[in-house]
Amino acid sequence: MNASAERLPPSRLLLLLPVAIVLGLFFTSVVMLFSNAFIERGTVSLRYFQQILDRPDYQLAFLRTVLSSIVVSFSAVLLAYPIALLLWRAGDRWRNQLLIVVLVPWLVSLVVRSYGWIILLGPKGFINAMLAWIGVLDEPLPLMFNDFGIIVGLTHVLMPFAVISILSSLLAIESNLEEASNALGATGLQTFRRVVLPLSLPGAFTALMVVYLACIGAIVTPLLLGGVTQKFVGSQIYQEVMSTYNMNKGAAWSLCLLAISFLSLVLFKAIERRALRGQA
Amino acid sequence: MPGPALGNASAGLRADNRCPNQYRNAVSAQLNERQIGAIRIEAVAKSYGDTEVLSAVDLSIEPGSFVTLLGPSGCGKTTLLRLIAGFISPSRGRICIDGADMAGIPTQRRPIGMVFQNLALFPHLNVFENIAYGLQLRHRPKDEIARRVAQFIEIVGLAGLGERRIAQLSGGQKQRVALARSLVLEPSILLLDEPLSALDLQLRKQLQVALKDIQRKLGTTFVFVTHDQEEATLMSDTIVVMSQGRVQQVANPSTIYAAPANLFVAKFVGELNELPARVTAVGTSLALQTEAGEMRVPASAAQGFTPAVGDAAALCLRPESLVVSSGEVPAHHVRLPAQLVDVISLGPVSRLVLQAAGRRLTSIVMSEQRPRDLAPGSPCSLHFDPDKARVYAPLAGASARAFGEAA
Repeated sequence: MNASAERLPPSRLLLLLPVAIVLGLFFTSVVMLFSNAFIERGTVSLRYFQQILDRPDYQLAFLRTVLSSIVVSFSAVLLAYPIALLLWRAGDRWRNQLLIVVLVPWLVSLVVRSYGWIILLGPKGFINAMLAWIGVLDEPLPLMFNDFGIIVGLTHVLMPFAVISILSSLLAIESNLEEASNALGATGLQTFRRVVLPLSLPGAFTALMVVYLACIGAIVTPLLLGGVTQKFVGSQIYQEVMSTYNMNKGAAWSLCLLAISFLSLVLFKAIERRALRGQA
Repeated sequence: MPGPALGNASAGLRADNRCPNQYRNAVSAQLNERQIGAIRIEAVAKSYGDTEVLSAVDLSIEPGSFVTLLGPSGCGKTTLLRLIAGFISPSRGRICIDGADMAGIPTQRRPIGMVFQNLALFPHLNVFENIAYGLQLRHRPKDEIARRVAQFIEIVGLAGLGERRIAQLSGGQKQRVALARSLVLEPSILLLDEPLSALDLQLRKQLQVALKDIQRKLGTTFVFVTHDQEEATLMSDTIVVMSQGRVQQVANPSTIYAAPANLFVAKFVGELNELPARVTAVGTSLALQTEAGEMRVPASAAQGFTPAVGDAAALCLRPESLVVSSGEVPAHHVRLPAQLVDVISLGPVSRLVLQAAGRRLTSIVMSEQRPRDLAPGSPCSLHFDPDKARVYAPLAGASARAFGEAA
């Protein structure tokens, strides 16, 4: 025991109580998750894991979740990059105000935002109404209740994360690297390609990962904008737990999702290391 | 100044390095051969809103010279450098480099290199890649890039460190990379913005010598910005002393020290004893009333202004011109009663701190010649050769403090 720890008055230990409660509940829930996943009515059972392996529609749900998340993370990063670049360029005075504009959607509940997309994308929504009015189509375009709707909705919801992540790496670029590049003969575009872009890549990679991980566990947006048959893993777990009260199935699915997230993370880190090889 | 052979050789090298769409066409290139490396600044001013940071600067920089822009922070020296680099454009006036007007020419098409205060090395590239950056932009063949980069790594003394990451380098090594990165492109002019200010004294001294050596070897015009007068004196062929957005004096270091154009330059470069005074008579000699009585100095002592009777003035003496002795005083010397306060030995020279004319004065003597019979606190005889005195108009804003006006 070191001396400083001994000198602490015992009452200070009370400060640890909130942490202890949070950690205690967290570990209890993890233990319960495992026990629910593997133990059914007192006996060890792998029924729900077996079910996932047996049913192609369940496997499809996992596949759809992963692929949609990949698409969402790339589109969010591609859309966020120019915004981050704009904020970076805006200078100290405007940056914070513009950043508020980027973050304003977060003030609105996720459900409300998803309903907003229903108004835009729905069969009788704004876009289809306009297209029908112009006379381009007879049948409404299927813009939602499918993967497209999910991808649009999730991209919108998660893009601010990507903006912040990319912006932070842009802001870390030393202020006169661009001038130095100019002085060495580079045009603005060359400087962007050879200096700004490579130095902001770590932020873009972080953005990809954050959006992907947030996406893979999404519940509300896929529930509202996705189709009945196009199930998303997160929404499926939600239904198992909240509607059918099948805790064992929900736990098994959650563990699978957790494993997939973890594997994705490992794979992603390996790719990142290769892509950023040489960067400090 | 480089010899003509070296000048031509580097000009030739330069011509084949530049892309054909450079600002300079073939005809004017021939006409301007002798102006490669020259900078002409004509009535250049720069304002931000109502604040004028640079007013009507005229300056001509010779090809191949080492020029230092010296001044306190906020004097406009960095602004002037950034104007030459083209990061900002002048509010008024004209800047010519290599004999060509630079108006509307962006930085990347100017024949300049720049070393920044924070060095601005590319952290995602290694030493080799940093130095090769400009050559790659110019689409030089791979083997040529390898050869040239290796050559400049050698010149700046970084042999064997090509594969190092920037983060793995010491401060001095980073400095050398920044230098090589610009010099490998053989610019006519290298602009250096206080690049040594972040280094410790020892390293700084080493690099000052190294910089000067490299500059001589390559014959490139160096425009160096610093607020350190010692650094400026050590390295420069020409010093441009600046203050409050104006050029105060342009001269070689010894002239700047021996014959400062005004009180600002005199105070900024080297140590100075300044006695506030009031002019009491003019003519072939100048009579000045100071707190230590009336003193006569030759009329030629007045620098940069024509004194009239009643004017406030500053009588200035370098520490080495103030003599403390217990023996014979030459007849033409001006004397003032003084008291020795302290003696500080600085090795070869000693510094005598004196109380005279109501203020602290400093005299510097060779240590072996310092008066040993004087103890601190004892009165002594202080005198100076009036030919070595300089008389300046007081600095603007400081006149109220001149002798005779104190309330």
